[in-house]
Amino acid sequence: MQSRFLVLFPTAMVVMVLVAIAGILWGTADISWSDRVAILMRNEDAPRGLSLIVWQWRIPRVLAVGLIGAGLALAGALMQTALRNPMADPYLMGLSSGASAAAVAAIIWLPSEVTETVGVPLIAFSGAALAFLMTLGLSQQRGRQLDPLIVILAGVAVSLMFQSVTAFFLYIGDPHVTRNALDWLMGTAAGTEWRELPLLALALVVIAGVFLMRANALDATLLGEERAQALGIRTGRLRVMIFVATVVLTGLAVSVAGIVGFIGLIVPHMARLLVGARHRVLLPLSMVLGAIVLIAVDLLCRTLLAPEELPLGVLLALFAAPPFILILRGLRRAV
Amino acid sequence: MQSDPALDIRNLSVDVGGKPYVQGVSLAVPKGEVHCLLGPNGAGKTTVLRTIYRAERPAAGEIAADGRDIEDYAYHEWARKCGALVQSSGLLAGLTPSDIVEIGLSALGLDGVDLVLRRDEALKLVGLIQKRNQPADRLSGGELQRCYFAQLLACDPEIYILDEPTNHLDLHYQLVLLNEVKRRSRTVLMTLHDLNLVARYCDHVHLISSGRIVDHGKPADVLSRQNLMEHFLVDAHLNMQSLVINGPVLR
Repeated sequence: MQSRFLVLFPTAMVVMVLVAIAGILWGTADISWSDRVAILMRNEDAPRGLSLIVWQWRIPRVLAVGLIGAGLALAGALMQTALRNPMADPYLMGLSSGASAAAVAAIIWLPSEVTETVGVPLIAFSGAALAFLMTLGLSQQRGRQLDPLIVILAGVAVSLMFQSVTAFFLYIGDPHVTRNALDWLMGTAAGTEWRELPLLALALVVIAGVFLMRANALDATLLGEERAQALGIRTGRLRVMIFVATVVLTGLAVSVAGIVGFIGLIVPHMARLLVGARHRVLLPLSMVLGAIVLIAVDLLCRTLLAPEELPLGVLLALFAAPPFILILRGLRRAV
Repeated sequence: MQSDPALDIRNLSVDVGGKPYVQGVSLAVPKGEVHCLLGPNGAGKTTVLRTIYRAERPAAGEIAADGRDIEDYAYHEWARKCGALVQSSGLLAGLTPSDIVEIGLSALGLDGVDLVLRRDEALKLVGLIQKRNQPADRLSGGELQRCYFAQLLACDPEIYILDEPTNHLDLHYQLVLLNEVKRRSRTVLMTLHDLNLVARYCDHVHLISSGRIVDHGKPADVLSRQNLMEHFLVDAHLNMQSLVINGPVLR
């Protein structure tokens, strides 16, 4: 598997760069090849309007979805390890429903001056953090470490509660305003600005670095709680570290692009099928594959029905179904 | 002057779910001896072992190794000195037997050629070298147990903690692996339910019932007809190294 990684990882990196270049070159606006070259070379005679589209819209958007795809895949791989559950994903602790309820409430109820000042992203992040704290609070048992099963059940309960709150808000809200809320719920990276990128990149690099240094401990966790503890791993502490990393990665992703599902669930399985489950190879490959998938799907969202733009969540769900069925078949064979 | 026991448990009490479960357990395992913690289901055997590999915290008492309290060891330092074969289920998708052995060695800080040599030698010992690159989640229960045994043998700590090590193993591998443990002359504390194996491999037996040590000594002395009737509700006795069973005691 190690030798496969040495071939697959550089290949995936090249594919990621190619997909990113495609994401920059193509989009809703039709730009000729000579203009594309002129814009990317920053020539003085490049059309100003098109140059603005590429430099202020497409490039930050492609970088953002790349970072979000990588971050969600990383968070998914870590959550599957922390909970030793192949169905775990970054949203398992109620993060998406918490973020959704907060964002929908803000869009529908708060005056636009407030949402413009504070920003829907920050409100969504706060909702995700609140859901996380509720899930963690419900999972605590006095004098005992967090039980993965209890965490999953608490996450389901918190998710259900926030989902019903979101549905209630959408039901009673003004139909004109709820359309904006629905757009947000389906996820889009449109309108991402350069200033949103540094925090995403910093969080991804720091969290990936921290967990790559602890790859051996993560590997041991796969063997079961007791076996990891017998190997000297403080599993409770490691699990809390993973949960906090997941909240940061997912909260930032949600705040920039809304709810982007499936990446965190499917991509780690794809990477595991390709290079196995050892984290020193699984985490880097998951991140690169996550970036590739999300950049590619975002490009399709922009171009399939151009000039109309499809929500990320809709196309992702469509593309996620076939690999998910394959993974299920693989799991069924293994049982 | 007598040296400190390799493993010394003094007045150990452990609470489970807020209630006392193990109470005042004391036992000492001298260096190089194989001791067995024997008792009926739910007697507290696994809880004592869990406390030794620090998955459980004692409510009272202390555990020392070579005269030093185990709380004074860093977690990874203690794991290098005291390895455990335990009962636990994991997420094995994407792992192979090679990976499982390597994970143990890597967690203890080994790498490079030493890791590869130890890994392959251990996999040969447990008869899994041919299957070393097969998916671990498709191994049988016995093969998986051999895989975890290989991990422990590769790490080869000074103290072996074995919680029902013969689980899922066929007769051949029960004998092969316990012979290997005995051959290494390490300090061993294990739980076993097969009393024939207890009689064959253990130097000393500690009989535990309802969380307390009720008897200890040589296997032939502890596996008395009276103890077996009182604590296992079985009318049986030891003849040489074989258990002769007359039947269950009905109450």
